[in-house]
Amino acid sequence: MILRRRRPHAFERDGDRTAIRLGDDERSMLANLAGQFRAVVADDADPDLRRLYPTAYPDDPEHDADYSELVHDDLVRTRVAAADTVVATASAVSLDADQLAAWMQVLNGLRLLLGTRLDVSEEDEFDPEADDAPTRALLSWLGFLLEEAVVAASADLGDT
Amino acid sequence: MSPAPSPLEVDETDLDHDEEVGADRPWIVLVWNDPINLMSYVSHVFQKLFGYSKAKADRLMLDVHEKGRAVVSNGARENAEMDVFRLHEHGLWATMQRDD
Repeated sequence: MILRRRRPHAFERDGDRTAIRLGDDERSMLANLAGQFRAVVADDADPDLRRLYPTAYPDDPEHDADYSELVHDDLVRTRVAAADTVVATASAVSLDADQLAAWMQVLNGLRLLLGTRLDVSEEDEFDPEADDAPTRALLSWLGFLLEEAVVAASADLGDT
Repeated sequence: MSPAPSPLEVDETDLDHDEEVGADRPWIVLVWNDPINLMSYVSHVFQKLFGYSKAKADRLMLDVHEKGRAVVSNGARENAEMDVFRLHEHGLWATMQRDD
């Protein structure tokens, strides 16, 4: 896991809703990424998706196969639906609690997909000269947004 | 946290029931450390899914981070499986096993 520093707010809580404080470029980038995420998840063939579908029973392949058969399609469906929500609300002024949860699911899902693709580790240092620097910068930006979303969503929790 | 199942009332001398008792032993749900998930997000998911206080969720999250894993819930198999599913839905690396 990664500890992140605080930066200016991307989301701002306003009563029951969460205002989005992102520029047009960032919003269209997010909509684009959510659309790509939707396509990869719906296609369900990319091996880098594996972190989104962990093994439930590591010592019991038989039970694990049953579990996977039971939940896999549901997991795909909720992720596709969440990506649709992000695409549909990328230009919105603010989000309700369910929409914010969908944004968080997609931000985290994208990070799991990209992080797996990059084979990241906790000791990684950012090297701006590296070939994968743009993707790592993207991973970092998604982390910033998710961190901000967590702060905004904490208002929806009973005990904080 | 999911409630533990009620203990079965079994005659301890009746060895035929041993397997049945074993089958009802509670399960534990583990969350494992990974290099991608954010610490604040993991704590948030624990609070959201299990209703844990921020203090308890942070403690579990730090256990995951520092010790590599933490038991986040326990109970009957169906309850544990539902918890694992909800953790997977939120992108956390969760597994379940019998509580030894």
